[in-house]
Amino acid sequence: MSTKFDLNDASLVVIIGSGAGGGTLANELAQKGIRSVVLEAGKRFNLSDFENDEWKMFSKISWLDKRHLVGPARLASDFPNLPAWLVKGVGGATMHWAGVAMRFQAHEFKMKTTNGTVPGANVLDWPITLKELAPYYYKAEQKMGVCGTEATGMPFHGESNHYKVVAEGARRVGAKCEQATLAINTEVRDGRPPCQVNGFCHQGCRIGAKWSTMYTEIPKAEATGKTEVRPESMVLKIEHDESGKVTGVLYADKDGNQRLQKARVVAVAGNSIESPRMLLNSASSMFPDGLANSSGQVGQNYMTHTAGGVYAEFEKPVHMYKSTVVPGIVHEWKDNDPSRGHLGGYELEILHLGLPFMSAFLNPGKSGWGRGVSDSLANYDNMAGFWICGEDMAVESNNITLHPTEKDQYGLPIPVIYKTDHINDTRMRDHAYARSQELFDSIGALKVNKLPSYPASHNMGTNRMSERARDGVVNRWGQSHDIKNLFVSDGSQFTSSGTENPTLTIVALAIRQADYIADQMKKKAL
Amino acid sequence: MNKNNKDLPQSISADKGNDAVCLNRRRFLSKTSRCAVAASAVVLGVGLFAQNSYAANKIGSQANVSLLKMARDIYPHDNLADKYYTQVLTPMIETAAKDDDALAILADGAKSLDQIAQQQFGMHYIDIKSEQERVVVLKQLESALFFQNIKGALMMGIYNNPELWPLFGYGGSAWEKGGYINRGYNDIDWI
Repeated sequence: MSTKFDLNDASLVVIIGSGAGGGTLANELAQKGIRSVVLEAGKRFNLSDFENDEWKMFSKISWLDKRHLVGPARLASDFPNLPAWLVKGVGGATMHWAGVAMRFQAHEFKMKTTNGTVPGANVLDWPITLKELAPYYYKAEQKMGVCGTEATGMPFHGESNHYKVVAEGARRVGAKCEQATLAINTEVRDGRPPCQVNGFCHQGCRIGAKWSTMYTEIPKAEATGKTEVRPESMVLKIEHDESGKVTGVLYADKDGNQRLQKARVVAVAGNSIESPRMLLNSASSMFPDGLANSSGQVGQNYMTHTAGGVYAEFEKPVHMYKSTVVPGIVHEWKDNDPSRGHLGGYELEILHLGLPFMSAFLNPGKSGWGRGVSDSLANYDNMAGFWICGEDMAVESNNITLHPTEKDQYGLPIPVIYKTDHINDTRMRDHAYARSQELFDSIGALKVNKLPSYPASHNMGTNRMSERARDGVVNRWGQSHDIKNLFVSDGSQFTSSGTENPTLTIVALAIRQADYIADQMKKKAL
Repeated sequence: MNKNNKDLPQSISADKGNDAVCLNRRRFLSKTSRCAVAASAVVLGVGLFAQNSYAANKIGSQANVSLLKMARDIYPHDNLADKYYTQVLTPMIETAAKDDDALAILADGAKSLDQIAQQQFGMHYIDIKSEQERVVVLKQLESALFFQNIKGALMMGIYNNPELWPLFGYGGSAWEKGGYINRGYNDIDWI
């Protein structure tokens, strides 16, 4: 932890962000002896900072810098300044994630080939395949400790009340439902304890049973003496030389002083809003549209997941909160079957909210009040439900841009996020709502509440991978097409969203990227 | 249409659960039920503050009663005592007593509440007997800062109030109790 590198040391890899992508990349490089500085905008937290309290943790760890969400979607009127629900701190969104670790399906790397041109969407195949990523998925599952996988041999968590209710509904309508493969220990593993089911996965795992780079990759990297993490360091600009190679990163430290850290390689891993924002903010006379943006795709194709919630009320108690947050998944509709009326698939992820968040999300926005809402909240303990998580079509006009006049506390233009449904998203969500109704009706639900989307924790696509430089921002290694020593290491690389939660894929890509960076450095190609 | 529209205490008494939370809920409820009875005994003139008190005079006697009614209409839980609504509104009124802008938002809001009620139902908001009709009035104020401030404070004050969590059957913080792995992880038998 005490390693300090010189600002003028130009032999370092500078990694921006310490979450699933950045934290993993730092540790993978450190284990190979490659030195890096990790610049993290947020501060360092300890496990004792993690309280089992939804709103306290929301205000403590969320990324709450001002953002504008615009567009005709309901989300923009319900949450005009909170498009995404992400974390600012060492460990990034791996503090907040529910631990769901699923591999992409083969077709999800080939959405263009599978479905042809989709009108109104900007769909593209990934330049890599499932087969190519499979060994890295295995390594990621081992690293993170994913239960229910061959990679760890660790058992599932066992069926919670919440799981049992939804699984029975799924059984009655003939839908496949399984316990979730979670990166949450069910045995002592990797120096971390097994889950004791506090039910607050989203608030930071108090006991560290859930994988987070905060207390796995980051301290392991620091222990090698090859990694220096600088918390409370907000990146202002990535600098480059006359040849167009990046040379360093200008950032504001915790006291507001500007520092320039020289770099041999820069890897951007600030999640899908901040990463393109940094590239756009780094525009120069040589790159007037921002770094790595010859394609014009930086900040475009912003994908979340096609999302929504469904919470049914029953006559008898479910106690859904006495469970891992995501105890199981209904997989029935995860495939690509256009006969359903939409392309791509979705998962129904059994997921509980506490009463405080349920009151905020059951019917969010201005009109969420009155007897209907309060009667349902009075039935909180009799609720079971899930979060719909489906493939989101890449649409170029769903994007991140810079506000023309408004600046944040660092003097940087505020990001403007435009996001609305593609017709495929709407059809998919309607399909999911209808199947959910049947599922819950089959076990005697008294009322089925259909919740709109809430701020997205899955943010993808704004620096996407492409075979050809004109179609995207980075190549098959996450290396920018335009600038060879500039990498993207987070979910903004995703060419399509898949239906699965993004973290496992981000980690697999980061492990693979570290191999590539090490190889290229050895060959002096970087 | 919710076929499960039991109010809180009824759903509690129907609850056959036997874990610690349920026991707490019952104890809690017997307490709040008494409060509710006491509150409903004073039907007329019940307000946020004692009549003619400083605070009641500050916001006006009509607002004093209509704001409490409004709060109960926003998140109606019939057997929840007035004090749970009052304790959310009190800090807002206290702020208003020191801040003219905040006072104006509250006082003007309460005034428009009565204006709309007068126009459409020919009486004060507080005198409209039907909840449905009062909701018609509130709906027209829904977008106002006045309404949203109160709604937001109530959401936090009722559903984020640890004192009330047992009543709703929510467990709150669990890590210090060893989580739920041995405390009801898989204890329902009706499915």
